[in-house]
Amino acid sequence: MSVVTELILSADSEARYPAPKELRIFQDFLKTGDQRIRIARILAENEQQIVQNGSMRFWERCPNTPSNSGNERKTASCQRDQGWYVRLIAYSILAGSEKPLEEIGTLGIKEMYNNLEIPLRNLVEAMRCVKEEAVSMMSEEDAVEVGPYFDYIIQALS
Amino acid sequence: MQDAITVLINSSDVQGKYLDSTSLERLENYFHSGDMRAKAATAVSANAKNIVTQTVAKSLLYTDITAPGGNMYTCRRYAACVRDLDYFLRYATYAMLAGDTSILDERILNGLRETYNSLGVPIGGTIRAVQAMKEVVTSMVGSEAGREMGVYFDHIAAGLS
Repeated sequence: MSVVTELILSADSEARYPAPKELRIFQDFLKTGDQRIRIARILAENEQQIVQNGSMRFWERCPNTPSNSGNERKTASCQRDQGWYVRLIAYSILAGSEKPLEEIGTLGIKEMYNNLEIPLRNLVEAMRCVKEEAVSMMSEEDAVEVGPYFDYIIQALS
Repeated sequence: MQDAITVLINSSDVQGKYLDSTSLERLENYFHSGDMRAKAATAVSANAKNIVTQTVAKSLLYTDITAPGGNMYTCRRYAACVRDLDYFLRYATYAMLAGDTSILDERILNGLRETYNSLGVPIGGTIRAVQAMKEVVTSMVGSEAGREMGVYFDHIAAGLS
C-alpha cells in the first residue's frame, strides 16, 4: 500500500475519477521522490552501522537484556530484527505510507515478541537508539521524514 | 492492486532485501513522471463521456453489431456496452496513474472473456473498440501521455484475446 494505491482505491470505491485535490496530492508526492530515494539509499548503505552503533548505545542504557546476555545467537537475532525494521522503514519512506511497515512488521509485533520472551520495554529503548543512530546520519530535512516511522514502531510496542 | 512502488517493495521484501539500484532507477523514472500522469488523468476525466462517444462512433456504429440481431442492438445492450467502455477508460486511467497493470487484471479482466462469451458479446468487436479508444485518447492527451495510456489499453486488449 502506498499513497498512490490509497487514492486510487478511494476513487474506485466511489466509481469516479480521482478528484483534482487527489491528483494534486499525487503530483506533490511524486515530486518528493528524489528525497525518498536518497533516504532509502542512506538506510540501505548504513544499515549495519546503524544497528551496531544502536546496540552499543542501547547496552549502555540497558545492560541487562537478551541481546547483551552473552548468547551470540540472541544478539544476532535481535540485531537482525532491528536491521529488518530499518529496511521496512526504507520501504515505507518510498511508499510515503506507514502501510508497508504495518503490514509486514507491526501488526502482531507485541504478541510475537511476548511469545519470544523479549521484554517490550527493552525493545522500545533499542528502537529509540536505532532511531537516534539513523537520524544522526542524515540532514534535518531527511530526519524529519524518517523519525515518525521509528515512532510508529515504538507506539506499536507500547 | 499494486503500483509502480509497491510492486518493487513486495518483490524486494520476499527476498528480505532493500530495493536494488535497478529498482531504484525504475522508481526514479516513475517519480519523475508525476506531472505527465496527473495531466493525462485530468484530461481523460474531463473528457470521459466524449472519449466514449467518439470511441463508439469510430469502432462500433453502423456495423453489424448495432444492426438488428447484433449484440449492441436494443437500447439496453447499447447502454451496457457504453457502460463497459466507461469502465475500461476509468480503470486504464487508474492503471496509468499507478504505473502498473494489476488493477486491470483484478477488477476488469478476471473472468471478463468468459462473461462476454456467455453473454454473446463479440470479443473481436470489443478489442476493436479498445483500440479505437486508445487512438481517441492519444489524440486528446498528446503523444507522451497517450503512449503511457496505450500500454494499459493494450493490456486490456491482450487480456481479452
